[in-house]
Amino acid sequence: MPGLDAISRGLMFDSLKQYAKRRIPYDLLRELDRKNEFPADILKEMYDTDILGIHLLLIPSEYGGLGGNTFDITRVCEALAHIDLGIATSVFATFLGSDPIRVGGTEEQKRHWMGRIAKEALLVAYGATEPDAGSDLVALTTRATHVVKNGKIVGYRITGNKQWISNGGVADVITILAAAPGGPSWFLVEKTAEGFSANHHEDKYGIRLSNTAGLALDDVYVPADHLIGGVEGQGLLQAQAVFGYTRLMVAAFGLGAGWEALETAIRYSQQRIQAGGPLSKKQGYMLKLIVPNAVKLEAARAYIEETAHRLDGDEHGLQTEGAIAKLSATEAGNKTAEDAIQALGGYGYTKDFPVEKIKRDVKITCIYEGTSEIMEMTIQRGRWQEHLKSRGQYYEGQAAEMDRLQAECPSVGAGSAALALRALNQVLEQVRLQRLTRHQHVSMRLGELIAQAETAAAFARAAAQPHYSESVRFDAEAWQAMSRVYAREAALDLCLKGTKLILGAGPLPEGFVQALGLDAALAAQAGSLEDQDLIARKLTEVFKSR
Amino acid sequence: MRTVVCVKQVPDTTEVKVDPQTGTLIRAGVPSILNPYDHFAVEWALKLKARHGGEVTVLTMGPPQAKAVLQLALALGCDRAMLLSDRAFAGSDTWATSYALARAVKKIGKFDLILCGQQAIDGDTAQVGPGVAQSLHIPQITFCDSIEVEGRKAKVQRHIDDGYEIVEAKLPVLCTMSLPHAHPLPWPSFPKVAQARSKVLEVWTAADIGAEPEKIGLKGSPTQVHKVYPPPLRAKGTVFTGSASEMASKLLDILRQENFIKP
Ligand SMILES: Cc1cc2nc3c(=O)[nH]c(=O)nc-3n(C[C@H](O)[C@H](O)[C@H](O)COP(=O)(O)OP(=O)(O)OC[C@H]3O[C@@H](n4cnc5c(N)ncnc54)[C@H](O)[C@@H]3O)c2cc1C
Ligand SMILES: Cc1cc2nc3c(=O)[nH]c(=O)nc-3n(C[C@H](O)[C@H](O)[C@H](O)COP(=O)(O)OP(=O)(O)OC[C@H]3O[C@@H](n4cnc5c(N)ncnc54)[C@H](O)[C@@H]3O)c2cc1C
Repeated sequence: MPGLDAISRGLMFDSLKQYAKRRIPYDLLRELDRKNEFPADILKEMYDTDILGIHLLLIPSEYGGLGGNTFDITRVCEALAHIDLGIATSVFATFLGSDPIRVGGTEEQKRHWMGRIAKEALLVAYGATEPDAGSDLVALTTRATHVVKNGKIVGYRITGNKQWISNGGVADVITILAAAPGGPSWFLVEKTAEGFSANHHEDKYGIRLSNTAGLALDDVYVPADHLIGGVEGQGLLQAQAVFGYTRLMVAAFGLGAGWEALETAIRYSQQRIQAGGPLSKKQGYMLKLIVPNAVKLEAARAYIEETAHRLDGDEHGLQTEGAIAKLSATEAGNKTAEDAIQALGGYGYTKDFPVEKIKRDVKITCIYEGTSEIMEMTIQRGRWQEHLKSRGQYYEGQAAEMDRLQAECPSVGAGSAALALRALNQVLEQVRLQRLTRHQHVSMRLGELIAQAETAAAFARAAAQPHYSESVRFDAEAWQAMSRVYAREAALDLCLKGTKLILGAGPLPEGFVQALGLDAALAAQAGSLEDQDLIARKLTEVFKSR
Repeated sequence: MRTVVCVKQVPDTTEVKVDPQTGTLIRAGVPSILNPYDHFAVEWALKLKARHGGEVTVLTMGPPQAKAVLQLALALGCDRAMLLSDRAFAGSDTWATSYALARAVKKIGKFDLILCGQQAIDGDTAQVGPGVAQSLHIPQITFCDSIEVEGRKAKVQRHIDDGYEIVEAKLPVLCTMSLPHAHPLPWPSFPKVAQARSKVLEVWTAADIGAEPEKIGLKGSPTQVHKVYPPPLRAKGTVFTGSASEMASKLLDILRQENFIKP
């Protein structure tokens, strides 16, 4: 999908930032956070086509929207997360809630509902989770039964409970996943429907201004044309079909929130004088609390954008990639926010600075749209198949690509990424031989290692480009140093953590460590300190104290 | 009413640092924005269009990237845009810039009003607006806060050091706009940005506007910048001490002396 041009995207985001500066200052956010209150007026303005009309970005142009593509959507998600993750979540819920229509709706339904969302600026919610069906949606108990007239199905009656639905108490329309006689299916339910009610605004740890509510459906009638796609039993497939895309959005949330916290810390470090100088000049401080987070966030950025461009090309699904992006970016964002509190010391622990709120907010990105553990399982499952199908050639092929990149562009750490990918290949092969996937722990840790190795490769590819994405705020010297640091760490982690996994479950075969490339991964660590010093300096240049 | 607004793309100087050694601006990685005074000028042009009808044309001279500020102006409601872009313009000083802009205005055709910003936040000379007026032989009013148009007359409020004055001029006139403190500038909605893509944006070369080659670019620029340095800071303010009533009476004395309040 072509999407927007760079100039238009830039202008839209400028308008968004200016709006936020004027209407959503930190003091207001802090107040809403304290009061646990949803800012209905702000969301209304953000959907007002004379003020922002942000919801139009997700609606295809043929239905009155602006036809943003995946890259545009991830960029706006990152921009929103810089402002506030609660507001971002509320906007996202509309994106998410209308996705079943976008991917699974009939032409008629798309025209009707997309058109209404565009024109009437409807708030939408996505109702999948239930009290007893979270990660495991198959355990769903909400039921939809046929209403038959003259031998024809004219409608459905839906009964059940939904839990933790973003916008649940404020949405005009909710897409509800329910078990129909033909299998799980999505239905459109309007908030005015008889028998539909929303519970109280949950009292949460973070994103407190975002309305999260349980929903009760008591024999709610919907006409037959409210069954998305017109065919029963497509619900889980329709949900799966958008995961690659929706998880990228949450990944971008982790990125935006993480950077917001890190920028605050970097600017602060230049003003705070301790022991005779600014904290930004203390190497131990910068290399512990700041630099590693910048590196992980930028690595995740490279992975997110690569996946977004693939989805905007002609590739579909990419669920494993979506899961890798989400795991890398949200865990990086969460860790960054945690370290940002530490970097601000006592001030970081108070509500006078935004970092403690970001920390509470960003945690949700590791939970909703699939928890980090579910991501690890998804990644492992997807790549395990590739490893078996290709008889071990899957990662060898990627490593060979990194060898070529290393020859062409020796400054991006592609050699280390190749080491990580080859070590991964060895570990996977050993896991296969010893049939260790019967241990869930091994599978899930593999998921994490796979994400790390693939992210290193994506970062090296991106850092070797002659021109960087508009989202990158660093020059090639800085970004390539970040890529090298990430790849080195991946190479060593794959060797050490991989070995540890196998040793923990069974014997380590003769020659395994040599085949793994541990010596090379150790040798690759040379120059690491110098690179980190360089990154520390560049970060304070880009994010000057105000 | 036919209005032409001259706008310039400038680095966001709130993000710019001055190199202490050379005194020049460090521009690397700094985002570009529409000069805020020009942004205000666009707002006024559209306000007058809403009152009196007509057409607003927005004009800039700059590299191809300067298209972004024209797109912003179009998204805000301007009707068409012209980008003067040609290697031959490179190195133009305020004199050559004014000449080129005036040539472009002539090519645009009949006009009633030309609006500029009072100054560009990077070059800061405040010379281009007056230069364009001079090249076109039309009157100019600088540092304007607001404009009323009645028939063929413009009635303008311009600010001066210790207050403001109301000035009238016959159309056509060129006004340079200042920007009231903390004025919230308008920003376009997402759909307005998208719609602006289908408006007219023409790119003109030096030949298109019939500019004489020796009057533009380095050749046409008599100014040479010898040194750029930050101006000396103004004298420090006075700090009063004493009890509250002593300090208040000192302040009153000064306000009277300076004619801010009646003796
Ligand atoms: C603020 C907020 C907003 C939300 N918004 C929405 C929304 O708009 N729409 C919607 O449908 N849902 C929404 N959710 C629900 C969210 O997607 C679920 O909370 C999430 O999928 C996890 O499900 P659960 O809470 O039931 O946890 P569980 O599935 O019970 O998981 C609990 C823990 O066990 C782990 N775990 C689960 N299964 C396994 C397994 N098989 N093996 C190993 N470990 C496992 C999990 O990783 C987690 O750590 C929201 C939740 C919150 C908190
Ligand atoms: C780093 C730097 C180096 C420079 N070096 C030289 C030099 O060596 N010699 C030299 O003579 N000058 C030099 N200049 C000045 C340069 O030529 C001016 O930027 C330009 O001519 C406009 O002057 P100004 O920026 O002072 O604008 P001002 O006169 O302050 O601008 C007033 C108004 O005029 C209009 N305007 C100004 N420029 C344009 C434009 N390009 N297109 C449309 N409208 C416009 C806008 O409405 C603006 O608000 C330099 C400027 C910079 C920033």
